[in-house]
Amino acid sequence: MASTLQRPGGAYVQRSSSGGLYEVIDVILDKGLVIDVFLRVSLVGIELLTVDARIVIASVDTYLRFAEAVNRLELNGSQSEGLPQLMEDLTEDGSENKTKGILEGAKESLFGSSEDDDEGSRSSKSRAGASSRRSSR
Amino acid sequence: MAAVRGSDRVSVKTKEQYVYGIVPASAKAPSGTGIARRRLHTVRTHEAAAIVSDVPEGELAVGREDLMVHARVLERALQDGVVLPMRFGVVMSDERAVREQLLEGFHRDLVAQLEELDGKVELHLRAVYDEEAVMREILEANPEIARRRAALQDQPADATYFERIDLGQLVAEAVERARDVDTAAILGELEPLSVAIDVGSPDHERVVARMSFLVERDRLASFDQAVDELGRRNEGRLQFKYTGPLPAYSFVDLPGQGE
Repeated sequence: MASTLQRPGGAYVQRSSSGGLYEVIDVILDKGLVIDVFLRVSLVGIELLTVDARIVIASVDTYLRFAEAVNRLELNGSQSEGLPQLMEDLTEDGSENKTKGILEGAKESLFGSSEDDDEGSRSSKSRAGASSRRSSR
Repeated sequence: MAAVRGSDRVSVKTKEQYVYGIVPASAKAPSGTGIARRRLHTVRTHEAAAIVSDVPEGELAVGREDLMVHARVLERALQDGVVLPMRFGVVMSDERAVREQLLEGFHRDLVAQLEELDGKVELHLRAVYDEEAVMREILEANPEIARRRAALQDQPADATYFERIDLGQLVAEAVERARDVDTAAILGELEPLSVAIDVGSPDHERVVARMSFLVERDRLASFDQAVDELGRRNEGRLQFKYTGPLPAYSFVDLPGQGE
């Protein structure tokens, strides 16, 4: 049965069978079935994060960063640093990305780098968990 | 229960249930454990079953690992067949509440969605611009941006704060137009292979779009191929992050529930 779900990887696309923390947060806090009246685990830090996710794009901060990006372009000899630069940029989720946006920054401050995803660490539990409790909504 | 501080509820011998998802009545609970390492089991009616685990007494602290546990339980369930995923954090007072208020209360919707989603999976695709490549495209296509950029070249940064904001805003508008074009191109290839699609807003300034597709398992191979072809065609300017198959998070809902 499981074999029907496994496919060979593609050459041009970063593919994974299940999401890392970044993607899981994106999906399971926002989507899926929910019954409002039932006790819901409330996650203080994580709720904040989902709010952050909606305020990113139109800001002075973004404009200045875009202006810088377009100013930085080398017009002549445009291909000179093409490939290595591209390869670097391909590690999109890398924590050293130079043009990291507000959201990713916020995510990192809450959860650590999105890189060290998977099972997470017990130590993070106190951060998101210490002040959480169930509340009815 | 103790978890609800200050509650005047008398302690009754019932265990709260954390709910992961809904499966057909004939399905089994996935192997392994769930949140707080409790055993997974099902609560069932003759029409549907809920995958649940007991919630330990006391305050339930949840952290990032619990988010992953929730997701992984559902992915294991999907290996056995259709599952309607619950959002993270639904805790019901006891098995009876699960049976009566979830399974029976919504039985028509649940059964309909179990049928509708049988044999289908969700795939996520997030397309992200390579910054240099998209900036170069924008510069080449917009003389006004090129002109303003040239005017700023030899000026000290602190003397041109507002000019830079204006320039950046023009660039942001150009990025917005590029997003529309690229999103349409991606959907043009993938929509014909999908049963349904859901397009979310970008969560980062370099993101083109976040897309969820509901796809027949039988068509997974051709969908993979189409995604790969998009990746090939956009090499150097777009990078794609492709995830799945996942339970159909984006294509389930209960009437009147959730925002």
